[in-house]
Amino acid sequence: MAAGTGMVTAAALVTDMLKLLGEERVFHKDVDLKTYTYDSSFVSQINDFTPEVVVMPTSTEEVSRIMRYADEHGVAVTPRGAGSGQTGGSVAVRGGIVMDLSAWNDIVEVDEVNMQVVVRPGVVHADLNNHIASYGLYFPPDPGSSEWATIGGMVANNASGLRAVKYGNTGQYVLGLEVVMPDGQVIRTGGLKSKALKSVSGLNLTGLFLASEGTLGVITEVRLKVWPKPPSRAIVVAYFDRLEDAAQSVLEVFKAGILPSGIEILDDGAIRSVNLFKPQLKLPEVEAAIFFEVNGSKAATADEGRQIEEIAKKRAGSVEMATDPKRMKELWTGRQAIGAASARAKPNAARIFAGEDVCFPMSKVPEALRRIKEIGREHDTMVVIYGHIGDGNMHTAPIIDPLKPEEVEAAQRVAEAIHRLALEIGGATTGEHGVGFVRAAFMEEEHGAALEVMRRIKDCMDPKGIMNPGKIWAGEE
Amino acid sequence: MEVTYQLDFAQELKKCVRCGKCRTSCPVFHELRGESASPRGRLALVKALQTGDLEPSEELADRLYTCLLCKTCAVDCPSGVISDEIFVAAREYLAEALGQPLMQRALLRGFLTRPGLHSSASSLMRLYQKSGAAAVLDKTHLIEHLPEKAEAAARLLPDVAGRPGRKRVREVTPAQGEKKYRVSYFLGCATNLLYPQVAEDTVEVLSRNGCEVVTVDDVKCCGMPHLAYGDVDTARELARENLRALADAGSDYVISDCASCSATLGETYQHLFDPGTPEQARAKELADTVYDVSRFLVEVTGIEPGEHQVEATVTYHDPCHLSRAQKVTEQPREVLRAVPGVEFREMAEADRCCGSAGSFSVMHHDISAKILERKIDNVEATQSEVVATSCPTCTMQLSFGLRERGSKADVVHPVQLLARSYRGK
Ligand SMILES: Cc1cc2nc3c(=O)[nH]c(=O)nc-3n(C[C@H](O)[C@H](O)[C@H](O)COP(=O)(O)OP(=O)(O)OC[C@H]3O[C@@H](n4cnc5c(N)ncnc54)[C@H](O)[C@@H]3O)c2cc1C
Ligand code: SF4
Ligand code: SF4
Repeated sequence: MAAGTGMVTAAALVTDMLKLLGEERVFHKDVDLKTYTYDSSFVSQINDFTPEVVVMPTSTEEVSRIMRYADEHGVAVTPRGAGSGQTGGSVAVRGGIVMDLSAWNDIVEVDEVNMQVVVRPGVVHADLNNHIASYGLYFPPDPGSSEWATIGGMVANNASGLRAVKYGNTGQYVLGLEVVMPDGQVIRTGGLKSKALKSVSGLNLTGLFLASEGTLGVITEVRLKVWPKPPSRAIVVAYFDRLEDAAQSVLEVFKAGILPSGIEILDDGAIRSVNLFKPQLKLPEVEAAIFFEVNGSKAATADEGRQIEEIAKKRAGSVEMATDPKRMKELWTGRQAIGAASARAKPNAARIFAGEDVCFPMSKVPEALRRIKEIGREHDTMVVIYGHIGDGNMHTAPIIDPLKPEEVEAAQRVAEAIHRLALEIGGATTGEHGVGFVRAAFMEEEHGAALEVMRRIKDCMDPKGIMNPGKIWAGEE
Repeated sequence: MEVTYQLDFAQELKKCVRCGKCRTSCPVFHELRGESASPRGRLALVKALQTGDLEPSEELADRLYTCLLCKTCAVDCPSGVISDEIFVAAREYLAEALGQPLMQRALLRGFLTRPGLHSSASSLMRLYQKSGAAAVLDKTHLIEHLPEKAEAAARLLPDVAGRPGRKRVREVTPAQGEKKYRVSYFLGCATNLLYPQVAEDTVEVLSRNGCEVVTVDDVKCCGMPHLAYGDVDTARELARENLRALADAGSDYVISDCASCSATLGETYQHLFDPGTPEQARAKELADTVYDVSRFLVEVTGIEPGEHQVEATVTYHDPCHLSRAQKVTEQPREVLRAVPGVEFREMAEADRCCGSAGSFSVMHHDISAKILERKIDNVEATQSEVVATSCPTCTMQLSFGLRERGSKADVVHPVQLLARSYRGK
């Protein structure tokens, strides 16, 4: 398998990239390269994954030329969006070229009538939604990193987020892609000229690139289905004295025939953290809070909101229903911030992103919550839990002092145990963040013979193994 | 790398979980796009410096100085990383580690890369010679490069007419009506030299609102420019002198019309001294008495309404050092709303940095100009006749941006409109 700079020296690689793109969009000095050694994964903070060169192409032609070069010389290429991923996915673990696509952020087309948009990979999720709001449209998947994650990164990770319970993940909205293949060839999936909202013509190549994590090709354009923006929304927040009661209430809401647009859980540590970051929120500091979001017509949201309130009250100590846009924004952005804010759960500590994305069957969520807390206690590590309980996708954050090696080691054991728990009770090691570098070791156990088929697909599409090597497929080298 | 500027790098840096959120709103990153221009990138560079992974270098200095210290990243960080303070401390370390010649080249990069900038910057020279930046520039010998490089920068400067502020106000101005407080007016360098009329208006407004105003004569530059360049030693020296001068003046409050001065006096001084020392105690005491003038009028004296109408549509730009450093946002707007005849219009992104950041607009003219473009777009969208702001460098920057656009809009300090309503002109 190819690695690093392949058959060229680092110096020659830099010279050649400068020839292709010019000074402005090629980084090769140490001070710039060191800022491409990480994403938000903890693993990337404790390893040195410095690439030889970073390029910032802004056209399909440029990407294609770079890929042709890489193919010819066997150079590894790691595509990168905002680097908000939590798996080391956008980090060049085998060196070579990092291709930063975040500056290529044109919204090429908004087709109001056909309810679709065409964007370049670097468009930021929130920017897209702000732009199309004036057309009465929106792109529903809503990652906590909405304000900075790119659409390219979202497609490559098949990201989802706070509204997946009703709206699913990014993949459900991708109608077609332009992809530069590892040898530089440009293809279009979903039909060359298609503007259709459905198509079952041919093998689902679009689907192949979803969650491909940059290992099969570079996504250079995305055609997305977008939806009419619901006119109304409401948020019901229920506060529980027992974590398990919170989980139980979620099941009861589903049982009543209600499908909220988002159901999010915050445990005590998460509540405390959000309060510390945004004191104006004043969330009651109980064992767990659930945020239910409903959207649709005004009458429907009012009615569903009220029903959820009733159901939650059976177990919750208190319930708050928010319809004031300012309060709703505060609550929602408070929830979105937990990813990083959970560091505040303990003084003089930080959260790390490790073992952070397990997904459980709905029936096992109460048990899983209890067992995650037990795992934390066993390893003497505080674990904050928050996330998308509506689809069983839980984020677990070990809160440690990263300067203390014994705490780092304990946190890594916690992450391992949480991954194992997911596999043991019929869940997935990752619900939305992906495999990347950090979960490759679990792939064999999780997929068995299917992993071999995945490997064959990879070999067929990227025979020289230059696309984002070291990810997904453990033992690839 | 050693602990400096009262800050333990390792302890502060560990809080950054590298989520990337601060890519969202950094004005500099928005223009440059490479990760090393993002707050997260700069923090990673300081970390690499701290762990010895990177050596101090001219390039590293360039990345760390290409930052407005606007605090947006720090305020927005969910994890509580005090990024801007980390950058200042790192600048201090770099300034020492690199010594003069390299720092000079790093700082001048912004100039040298722009061709065709010629002389005619004598007024700029004057400003830098007389203001707090002079010491910094002298130290680095930057001043020698300014005249021939800074034509564009010179265009930033207002036409400074006549006498400086200090010559225009009395040492002690009595309160009009009943004397409620004795206040020290801290007259900063830029107000004094560039906007002397603001000094007159501030004193008049304070006096009209029941204050006996002492314009303390022997105060020095607050030290902000020195801090921004990483010259913490000089800033500490200036802090000592100002603490003494202000203590000698014996007033109830210390008032400033410059956001940077009030932020430095009120927030930063305490971090310059070791905890538990008498100096830190004095800095803390001072902090309790320092007020931005608008905040003082709203929270302490109340605003005496003016007799005259000031017919104008007015919008307001929040200076970083007021809104983010001191959380003072509503008070200047209240002052404006209190002026009879003023129609206040909120602009979009009012608290987004204007790109001036002291001398950033000089050192990184191109980036600064792009950041300013967006600000001027937002100003113009309100169709206001007047832009108010509470910081002389913001005033300079906004005036420049409006002039370049051919706009006739006026840029003033909020108290100036209040003063007009008292005077009737
Ligand atoms: C605080 C926080 C909250 C988060 N919340 C959520 C959440 O709620 N839901 C969720 O799903 N995720 C979440 N994430 C994870 C992350 O934001 C998403 O995975 C996001 O989609 C990554 O986008 P990015 O632009 O940062 O991509 P990067 O991290 O830069 O890259 C991610 C992967 O995509 C590949 N890639 C990027 N661009 C391309 C391209 N154009 N072509 C081919 N491959 C490419 C990279 O090689 C890498 O493997 C969160 C992250 C953080 C830090
Ligand atoms: S400084 Fe804060 S917002 Fe920026 S990457 Fe670090 S933790 Fe995230
Ligand atoms: S202080 Fe302002 S300019 Fe500097 S990194 Fe933070 S947001 Fe960017």
